[in-house]
Order: sequence, then structure tokens, then C-alpha cells
Amino acid sequence: MSDCGCDKAKAELEEFLHNELSAEQCQDIREHMANCDDCSAEHLVGITLTTKVKEACQEKAPDELRAMILGTIEKLDATA
Amino acid sequence: MTSAVLDRVSTASAVLDPWPRTGATAEAPVVDSLTMTDELAERRQLFQEQALPFMDQLYGAAMRMTKNPADASDLVQETFVKAFAAFGQFEQGTNLKAWLYRILTNTFINVYRKKQRDPYQGSTDELEEWQLGNAQSATSSSSRSAEAEAIDRMPASAVKDALQSIPEDFRLAVYFADVEGFSYQEIADIMKTPVGTVMSRLHRGRRLLRDLLADYARERGMTLKETTTTTRSAT
Repeated sequence: MSDCGCDKAKAELEEFLHNELSAEQCQDIREHMANCDDCSAEHLVGITLTTKVKEACQEKAPDELRAMILGTIEKLDATA
Repeated sequence: MTSAVLDRVSTASAVLDPWPRTGATAEAPVVDSLTMTDELAERRQLFQEQALPFMDQLYGAAMRMTKNPADASDLVQETFVKAFAAFGQFEQGTNLKAWLYRILTNTFINVYRKKQRDPYQGSTDELEEWQLGNAQSATSSSSRSAEAEAIDRMPASAVKDALQSIPEDFRLAVYFADVEGFSYQEIADIMKTPVGTVMSRLHRGRRLLRDLLADYARERGMTLKETTTTTRSAT
């Protein structure tokens, strides 16, 4: 198992996903995934999870909040 | 609310100092009032141009922290007021977004977290791996593909619910990395923890999230078994 590089790849997949690996390490893991369905499927789950979390968390600040913050900052300015 | 926020903020700049500069002395030159006014106007304009565009993002983070719109609004307002008060200490050219997130996170921890009940709070790093569910389930690549597909079809509300239900430290690490794209080092600075802790929180948080989403999919009959190949339109 460890001969094929899966252990190493699996351990590093999350860092790979988050751009925390060096160019060389990225290259290694890409090469490994090109020949390993298991690791590329695992990576796909990781990417999908990140994408979904990112999409789900998009929010828009309420207009009242925006107005309130601008107003507060103006006031702070005037009294500073 | 506003006055309470302002009261707290008056003491904030002294306590806060989110990005202390070394070797820089506090500048307090004697200036005439006209110059002062110009400077302030300039600073305000700069702040509005640079910091305010992060409002939606900060609000999103505040929603994940406080879990409700009223507290999230208060938190974001307080963050901006503090940030504006400390904006003179912000070093132009450094990472403003990370600076703002650091203020947001500090404020959340110091003010809001106290009034929230989080059963996991503070104890997450001591949770053992076995308490966190099946860490490495021996699944085949085809069931992993099914898992990816199920996650992909998950409604946003389910993803948010799952995120809300994981321990706070994990949730924030996941949010900072996956939603905001901060580097591990930046997250370590924001959360004031070593990078190793960030990695572990991120790993555990994502693992928990994945398990929760898998449970959700199973409950809804969005099967994760490789035997049932879900309808995938050939394009």
C-alpha cells in the first residue's frame, strides 16, 4: 500500500487542496493522482466539500447595517 | 445598541492593537485643526474605500460565529468601528482582510462568545480521534465518487446547518480556509494558535462536516452506495 504512494498522497491531500504544498510536492501529488482512482476520488470529495461550503456561506450584509456603519464612522470622525 | 458598541470601542484601541508595529513610535505631532480635519477626511475616505468592501464577507463570517443576524450585525458594526479607530496603526500594503478578520475574531471571542452556549467550546483540542467518528473509513473510489456527487447536490441550508453544528474552533478554521481562502499561517494568526493546531482543527472539522453531510444524504435517500449509480446525464 505505502509503495504506491497513497499514504503520502492521502496525508497531503488537504494541504494540496488549500495550496499549502510546495510546487514540487504539488507535482508529486498530481502525478500520483493521475494514476490512482482512489486518491483522485478522495480529492474530488475534498474539492466538492470546499466548493459547497463556500457557496453556502455567501452572505450579503443588510442595508441597514451598511447605513449604520457609515453613520457611525462619520460620527466618530466628527468627534475625533 | 450603537451606544453600547461605542462605549466598548472607546476602550478598544488601547486593548486591541491588533497588528502591533515594532519600532514605530506613536505619532502625536502638534498640527493645526485644518490639517487635522484633512487628515481625518483622508483617513475616512481610505477606510471607506479599502475596508468597507469587506462588509459582506465579514457579515458572512459573523453569521457563522454568532449564528444569528442580530448578533452578526452588532459584531460587524463593532468590528468596523474598532478597525476605523485603529486604522492609523494599520500598515498600508499589508493584508487588510486578515487584519479585519483578526479584529472580528478577537471581538467575537471577547464579547459575543461569552453569552453563547457552545457545549464544545474550549475543549475541542482535547477531543480524541475516536470521539470524532470514523476518521478513515475504508471506502472504495466509486463510493467516494458517489459521496462527491451527493455533497454536490446538497442544498445550501443543509451545508450551513452542518457547519453550524460542528464545534466552534473547527467551524472557524473551516470557514477561514475554505470560504475565505486564508493560508494556514494567516488562520494561525487570526485564531492565535500554532499552525499545527490549525491543521488539526481543519482536518477534524472537515471530517465532521463530511460525516454529517453523509448522514444527511443517507437520511434523504441520496444514497452513497456504489451499487446504485445515480442518474448522471451523459453530456
